[in-house]
Amino acid sequence: MIKTAQDIKSYKKELKEALCDQFLRTALDNFNTAYRENRSAVYEGIDFEGVKKEIAEGKDAALPRLLDLFEAFKTHAEAAGVKVHTAKDAKQANEIVAAIAKDNNVKKIIKSKSMTAEETFLNDHLEKEGYIVTETDLGEWIIQLRKEGPSHMVMPAIHLSRFQVGDLFETVTQKKQDSENIDKLVKVARKTLRPAYLEADMGVSGANFAIAESGALGLVTNEGNMRLVTTLPKVHVALVGYDKLIPDLKTMLRILKVLPRNATGQAITSYVTWIKGTVECSASPSNRKIMHVVFLDNGRLALSKDPVFAEALRCIRCGACANVCPVYSKVGGHKYGHVYIGAIGLILTLFYHGKENDRAIVKNCINCQACKEVCPVDIDLPHLIKKTYRAVLDQDGKTPVKNVLLSKVLKNRKLFHFILRNAYLAQKPLAKKKTMIRHLPHFFEKEHGFRSLPLIARTPFRDQWKTIHSHVVKPKHTIALFAGCAVDFFYPEQAAALLKVLQKYDVQVEFPMDQTCCGLPALMAAEEETAKEVALQNLKAVMSEKYDYILTLCASCGSHLKHNYPKIFKDAYLSPENLKAFTDKIIDVSSFLVNVLKASSEDFNVAGGKVAYHSPCHLCRGMQVINEPRKLIELAGYDYVKSKDEDVCCGFGGSYSVDFPEISAEILKKKLDNLEAADAGILVTDCPGCVLQLRGGMDKRGGKIQVKHIIELIDETKI
Amino acid sequence: MQTSELVQLMKEKAEAVQAVVVKIKTMKDAIQYTVDLTRQQGGTSMVAMGLETQDMNLLEAACKTADLTFLKPPLRSHANGIHTALTPVDWGIAETGTLVLDSSSEDVRIATMLSETHVALLPASKIKPDTASLEDKINSVLKADASYYASITGASRTADIERVLAIGVHGPQELHILIMEENQE
Repeated sequence: MIKTAQDIKSYKKELKEALCDQFLRTALDNFNTAYRENRSAVYEGIDFEGVKKEIAEGKDAALPRLLDLFEAFKTHAEAAGVKVHTAKDAKQANEIVAAIAKDNNVKKIIKSKSMTAEETFLNDHLEKEGYIVTETDLGEWIIQLRKEGPSHMVMPAIHLSRFQVGDLFETVTQKKQDSENIDKLVKVARKTLRPAYLEADMGVSGANFAIAESGALGLVTNEGNMRLVTTLPKVHVALVGYDKLIPDLKTMLRILKVLPRNATGQAITSYVTWIKGTVECSASPSNRKIMHVVFLDNGRLALSKDPVFAEALRCIRCGACANVCPVYSKVGGHKYGHVYIGAIGLILTLFYHGKENDRAIVKNCINCQACKEVCPVDIDLPHLIKKTYRAVLDQDGKTPVKNVLLSKVLKNRKLFHFILRNAYLAQKPLAKKKTMIRHLPHFFEKEHGFRSLPLIARTPFRDQWKTIHSHVVKPKHTIALFAGCAVDFFYPEQAAALLKVLQKYDVQVEFPMDQTCCGLPALMAAEEETAKEVALQNLKAVMSEKYDYILTLCASCGSHLKHNYPKIFKDAYLSPENLKAFTDKIIDVSSFLVNVLKASSEDFNVAGGKVAYHSPCHLCRGMQVINEPRKLIELAGYDYVKSKDEDVCCGFGGSYSVDFPEISAEILKKKLDNLEAADAGILVTDCPGCVLQLRGGMDKRGGKIQVKHIIELIDETKI
Repeated sequence: MQTSELVQLMKEKAEAVQAVVVKIKTMKDAIQYTVDLTRQQGGTSMVAMGLETQDMNLLEAACKTADLTFLKPPLRSHANGIHTALTPVDWGIAETGTLVLDSSSEDVRIATMLSETHVALLPASKIKPDTASLEDKINSVLKADASYYASITGASRTADIERVLAIGVHGPQELHILIMEENQE
């Protein structure tokens, strides 16, 4: 039985243990890198964005009429001899399956992989009823023998090494196994399970698709066990979620373009099987298969009508949201979900397995957007995770103290800035004339010490503004600088560098004083009201026709303003046109210099030197800015050196790195290792949060690479 | 696409998923290939489903000569003793190297699922460029009566242990595709 931590304290303890599993970490880290590398090759010639939009639209159109699709499926399937059942919840589904077994004098049951059966804990129920149940998918068989749940939706035993599997198989077969040889281990499963198919009276499968127009099931598999499970025993029961209903074959073929590619990097799986009705089966007294399809609701029908969460039902269980998740790659699926794992698991757990099981895990999203980018059905996973967190808080009826304080302070800009200014004084004894805090005072727990921290500036940017800004006589552009808290209070020198550079391009920079925190930290804490209130303050401060652009040095602020503000103000305050006019103005500094100001290499002194680049999550995925920073580095006369996993998160994630410091530290470690391997003297990035994390980590490990905001690099060579 | 291009693409894509692809001219070639392969692999038994009676007789004779047991339907009682299965397939899909086969007959299923080696016979004229060009055909099967319809791409596989690809899990360990270019004779 799966046990998931139900409070944050025990969850953190479990995370600590998971981080000590060296095999898991190496295996999943390698997988994370390899998956992303292979994926681009297998999508060659496929318009991923186009197909993804089409599938999402198709799914959205089908969701409101799931019951119609169900009726059509039922009519066609029953005409072909199938008995179709409906189950309102897991318990009822399990009872229906057990009753079918009883009616047919079944003793042994053979199973192929089904996440839906995992969801209902079907095996536990059937075993309690006295049936012998054998899983036949290799990974599922392994975890069944170990009495564990899956740690990945596609590769359930990815957390185990060949040696652990070898030891397990030795126990099962009572024979010595050659654990080095994976081929041989696979053959053990083949040989051991073969007789079980023939002895079983009933086969249980899931289905990837239930096609309404024909009443056929569609199944996508690789090992061949599902084909045996659905062929040899006299009874076949398919347990299917309502969300698997699709109108037609065309829809299935469209999804097939992305499902295997995203799941396993295959253009197509070994087997795609359509099963309709009661086909020939000599094990059955009637010589026809006894076939039942059980449709599971378990909250799906309500979910399909939910204005916010219905989107989650688009999921086709490819598992990719885990594959690219930097947190998953550190802690593994058993600590990153309940039954359903990965980003989608953090969401679905609330609806299928209750708030208790989601309460702790739902907090563990670093919001790097990698899952959103890879999702083949266009689910805005990070957004829904925060919405889920909010729902958990509401259901629990408790607000964490941190959230109360955060809301109180953020809503009041003057109070917020007063606290930040005074923090400068508080930190003085810790800094000891240094530029960074290397040793945290004892009341911090030691896991926070993985990076040095920057000092809060003696004079924040907003207080320097009067003295350092200048008036451009005939400006080519007038822009508003949205500094963001990190630049304003930690790194005012980054904004000062921007002013110097833009002055040389005849750009008039304005700094609207009433701007405050962008509100992203509030949204990350699921404090939607606070996020909305500060967003409104910012809109009032920076929305003006006189600004051609609203420039930000912080990718997180930028992507929050550009993509989350429209969500926040969807139904109120601004018309869609005005919102679009606002979001169109948001720009990052590299895009502004390269695309708007048309910076050329003649604008710079040739400085030379190797420069590596870290692509901030909220710039490359949030604002979809990929090429401009790299181009800018080269325009400025530096050699841009590629490093591994440039677009993988640095582990900062704002308050994430405070909430989950050990995971943050591990993500950072891999990042810094990759950067050091790239042999560059300087690392630039375009987000002050990433600068904080990377510079702090580099300082702590005594690394030689200088970490800079890209505008600081540009300032140094701009003529 | 010309048939020759489709054959070439089919071959490339199927080989990319570890299928063995051979071009042949006649049914006799197919029988010879299958018998030789079974012998080479040390197999002792064979089944064939869906062949014309005269070809079935030829195969049976060839098996006898080669000292192979020629199994006959119903196959359930032989389920764990089938080394090679020879079956024609309905369609090929070049873009993925996929075979499409109506498997509603239980014996076809047992042959293609439980054999160690599956030898598939694919007429070149039955190769389609992509899945979309078969959509109507698959749909007409699905909309008719009960059916078990299968697309097969390469041998059965897994990466469930340490993500290492292993070929031959529960289904056939090898897939051989004999592309019959009948019109070129």
